[in-house]
Amino acid sequence: MESNSKYRIGDAVTVAAENPTGNPRTPHYIRGKRGVIGSVHGILENIRDHRGVHKPLYTVKFDLSEISTCHDQDTIWVDVHEEWLSEVRQDG
Amino acid sequence: MSGKHGHKPFEGHMHDYLAHIKAVEEDLEYYRAKRFEPRIIYLLRRGVVTFYDLLKVRSTLKKKDHFFKIGKPQGKNIEARVRYLEEWLDEYVKGIALVSARTVEGMDMVTEDNRKERGDYDDFFKIKKKEHHGELEERMVNVAQDLKDYQELLEVFVHALILRGWASRVELEQRWKQLHEERPWAGGVIVAKAWSDPEFKQALLTTGREALREMGVHQGKVGKLVVVENTDQAHNVVVCTLCSCYPYDILGDTPWWYKHESYRTNIVQNPRQCVKEMFQLEIPADKEMRVWDSTSDVRYFALPQRLAGTEGMAEKELAKLVTVDSLIGAGYALEPEQQRAAERAGAAPEAPRIRPD
Repeated sequence: MESNSKYRIGDAVTVAAENPTGNPRTPHYIRGKRGVIGSVHGILENIRDHRGVHKPLYTVKFDLSEISTCHDQDTIWVDVHEEWLSEVRQDG
Repeated sequence: MSGKHGHKPFEGHMHDYLAHIKAVEEDLEYYRAKRFEPRIIYLLRRGVVTFYDLLKVRSTLKKKDHFFKIGKPQGKNIEARVRYLEEWLDEYVKGIALVSARTVEGMDMVTEDNRKERGDYDDFFKIKKKEHHGELEERMVNVAQDLKDYQELLEVFVHALILRGWASRVELEQRWKQLHEERPWAGGVIVAKAWSDPEFKQALLTTGREALREMGVHQGKVGKLVVVENTDQAHNVVVCTLCSCYPYDILGDTPWWYKHESYRTNIVQNPRQCVKEMFQLEIPADKEMRVWDSTSDVRYFALPQRLAGTEGMAEKELAKLVTVDSLIGAGYALEPEQQRAAERAGAAPEAPRIRPD
């Protein structure tokens, strides 16, 4: 199922600032922020939790300094669906 | 009623009664406003149950026909009364599990519906939680009254479901019995095996639930399981900033603070300070902290580090060193001496209750 996924581990991505009418469970603190794909889960079925299936799921790794004023070298890993992500140009 | 529950203050022991009562207050409001009432409102909107069904039931219900039997405190001292409130809360939480889509025909509701109905995505729908004030005695009286009120609505709701033919009393009683059958806590068993068996550990870290199937422990059903390993280089902490997702189907109920807003907010803003203030945990400066936010269909737990001095210990003994907090990353595994001291004092950390599916 991972083969349906657009991004690969290590890809730099940006999270959409507004909900692109996808899974609403993308927390506000990462919206508009940059991260890196940490794992690729593909399309997961979870019929107890929701009807139908969502787009492929990724765990995106964020530097703590990207999402808070705290500058420790720590990381926050958040599960985000594909429709929320767009590619970051490496030179940008 | 038996006394194992996740509604405990950090310390786990019965020496700070006020902390116990605050934990009960927090959990009680969580389960009422996040789990139970959104469910009623969802069914009211759809006419599956109506306000008038509830009123009708309330006016004719006799005590002898009550579904839930709440006992009395085992003594008049404060400790007995605090335990009683904790056990009552535990029964209330199980009562909510009883009236779920799994038991009640006609309740076509998935977790996502509940999240919408309780305002996870829209503050407009949020059900206000009650605030508590005062000293211990006042708070105990108030929380007992809340439990009584909330329990009454649950009681009436169960009878309304029966009245409308959505559930039968016999089926509900069977399910109620099942909800009281406990499984052994898998947390310690899984970690002890991972510490002792490198092949299993590798399988656990790479395949999650699949590895659990092979070892024969209950592997649960909700979402994909990812186990993150604590090492000398990295300390992992788990959170759900949106609600309270957790692999409860394997590891049982979360501690009350896991659902609390202060933890859910602070752990992703300043993880080091958060674990220091809440759990007195100092993460060495040269160690990376990784916070895992379970915002979708993946459920996480942390594999605590095996401590020096535990070489040669049998899996059964190792399992006792694993605490609920250590699987969230809010603590380390216990030193063998700590565990023995706790056991001698009769204050061994209790495993959370695992409900059958």
